[in-house]
Amino acid sequence: MNWYGYTGKILEINLSDEKISSTGEDLKDVKKFLGGMGMNFFLGAERLKPRTNPLSPDNIIVLGTGPMVGTIMPGASRTSGFSKFPATGAVASVCGGMSFGFHLKQAGYDHIILSGKADKPKYLYIFDDHIDLVNADKIWGLDIVETTNLMWRKYDDCGVIAIGQAGENLVFGAITLIDKTSTLGRGGLGAIMGSKNLKAIVVKGSKGIEIANPKQFNKLYDSFIDRVRKYPHRDSWIELGMLRSLPVGMILNAKGEKKKARQCSDRNYLKNIKFRRIGCPSCPMADKDILEIREGKFEGLLNYTSSIINPFLMFTSDGLSSYDRAIKIFDVISRYGLDSLTITSLFDFISRMIDQGSLTNKDLGFEWKKDYNTYEHLIEIITYRNGIGNILADGWKEITRLKANLEEEMLTIKGLDVVFEPRFLKLGTMEFEQVVNPKGAHVASGGSPTYVGAGGGIEKMKSHFNRMGIPESAVDRLFRPPKKEMNINVGRLTRYSEDWYTILTSFGLCARAQMNRFYSLELVTSFYNAITGLNLKVDEIRLAAERSWNLMKLMNVKEGFSRQDDAFPKNWFTPLKYGENKLEFYDFYGNVKINRDIAKQLLDDYYDERGWDKENGTPSTHKLKELGLTRYLL
Amino acid sequence: MGVYEILIHPEKCVGCRICQLSCSFLYNGKYLPAFSRIELHDIYELTPKIEFSEDCIKCGHCARHCLYGALEIIEVNEN
Repeated sequence: MNWYGYTGKILEINLSDEKISSTGEDLKDVKKFLGGMGMNFFLGAERLKPRTNPLSPDNIIVLGTGPMVGTIMPGASRTSGFSKFPATGAVASVCGGMSFGFHLKQAGYDHIILSGKADKPKYLYIFDDHIDLVNADKIWGLDIVETTNLMWRKYDDCGVIAIGQAGENLVFGAITLIDKTSTLGRGGLGAIMGSKNLKAIVVKGSKGIEIANPKQFNKLYDSFIDRVRKYPHRDSWIELGMLRSLPVGMILNAKGEKKKARQCSDRNYLKNIKFRRIGCPSCPMADKDILEIREGKFEGLLNYTSSIINPFLMFTSDGLSSYDRAIKIFDVISRYGLDSLTITSLFDFISRMIDQGSLTNKDLGFEWKKDYNTYEHLIEIITYRNGIGNILADGWKEITRLKANLEEEMLTIKGLDVVFEPRFLKLGTMEFEQVVNPKGAHVASGGSPTYVGAGGGIEKMKSHFNRMGIPESAVDRLFRPPKKEMNINVGRLTRYSEDWYTILTSFGLCARAQMNRFYSLELVTSFYNAITGLNLKVDEIRLAAERSWNLMKLMNVKEGFSRQDDAFPKNWFTPLKYGENKLEFYDFYGNVKINRDIAKQLLDDYYDERGWDKENGTPSTHKLKELGLTRYLL
Repeated sequence: MGVYEILIHPEKCVGCRICQLSCSFLYNGKYLPAFSRIELHDIYELTPKIEFSEDCIKCGHCARHCLYGALEIIEVNEN
């Protein structure tokens, strides 16, 4: 058959015996799981055995794009990854931008499946039908930037996923970077690649993507781009990038650190930090950064990042006194392939434990100071697993090996540090989804109109619900929270945030707010049909997303996850000292203080909205039957 | 189709490839940047390089699609 949008091909590589095969996709699977993230779950479920050690050769990595990637579809560039992750033990999806997915599609593949372990360091090179596992002895030990630059020099225009020294040394939280810019793999994808002796994946292609109905597509495209061009805030998004979505100065001001807040201002970013804007393929709202330090000790340093917020969030830490130091430290972290969010949380955690006497310098084996040098030292010992770094490198769950009773003090969910803190941001779906997602605390899949305080009033919420394709029959329930004054039921809404994210990420579309705002379920379904010619209905797309999410959840049930893992961090129920402020746990509108009873009710409501068993927090047999997933119960 | 002069402002290019995608679709019927008549090099380096291939007829299609002002179209001959 002729495939449109999709390439219809999956590349499978066993790194142990270097067996390489290309297989065709089955149209009925594609219709059931859409592509990208959804198809990754399907391909993973067919291959990954439950209870596999994440760092063993038996673990697999599935990389996938989506039917829209490689075309001009605005915002279609996402690369989704699937594996079992060492930091949490969860089977999960990760996602990143830049050009890897674009090149993979151009090379003629929708997905790559990697299994086994190479006998020595290798990198994978893909150019159309030419697949090569290349000796990587000479680049093992290089950082991500050095590795990517080398690949770009050697292969010119290509997409690169690379690991740094943290991945090589199996640091549980090690990530990868796509094109040395976009993070991929919170929870340990870098370590999984390291365990497979796989330094990098390089891809380029010359096959091209055809679409089914160009006339229909062009009409939709022109109208879409017209909306983008007319969007009154587009210029400021392009100018400020992600700084527009989360003014970090606000966080520092709340902490009482006005001097540092000024360094995170739009003015300082534009005058002293931003070098130039870059973007993912086909993106009309480019937001990636090349940063430059223009003066001082680190003058001349250039850093690529998927978001200026990343180094700025590090700057909220007490250990860094000026923005240039934050960028320098962030650059070191990025090069090694560590997770900047985790390292920042860890630094703050150790500082707090030292302050309250729960940890001592003797425990650490060195003198702890809240300064740049200590930050640098912490990063070094974790990356190279020296001293207590060897314990810290095994992730939050292992920190109790350092000293008992520290677990109570940690702000983690399922082994990952909390990203969205509801005592600061209030309880939206981003915050809540960290609790119910098996992958633990993370960034992406809980996006909704509640993102970082956005969303506004009830009417605006309703229009967003409509845009996300939430069925009319569910809307009333979303306005029935445990306490009337909360206005919306974040537990129930989270189900639809996850489904909407699944649709976007399965198509290969960007979920960031500035792109997301232009999409609706109806519109992306029309685009999908123009591109693929498969003529799926809105209901079928919605059902495919639900099916994909349930399959992911079911895989995690087999890993041993249940409702008791979906626990709100205890610390959320106690005030957070923030500068001179004490912040408490409130609902999204700040009207009702969240106590354990309300939290429990929100969890019940989430499971109910999913049609799951409330007691166990797992998909019910009835639901699995409805979605055609019962055979995965075995 | 007119013939145009196209001014290149590489410092404004973000590397989105929309120019290449639109060109290749117009002339090849598929999204195939490798065969596009506008060539991009080092798109994520400090200064991207943008060039037109020998078979480019300066139809301006790429410039009309550019969303970042990296390609500026100047009409020189309307047929």
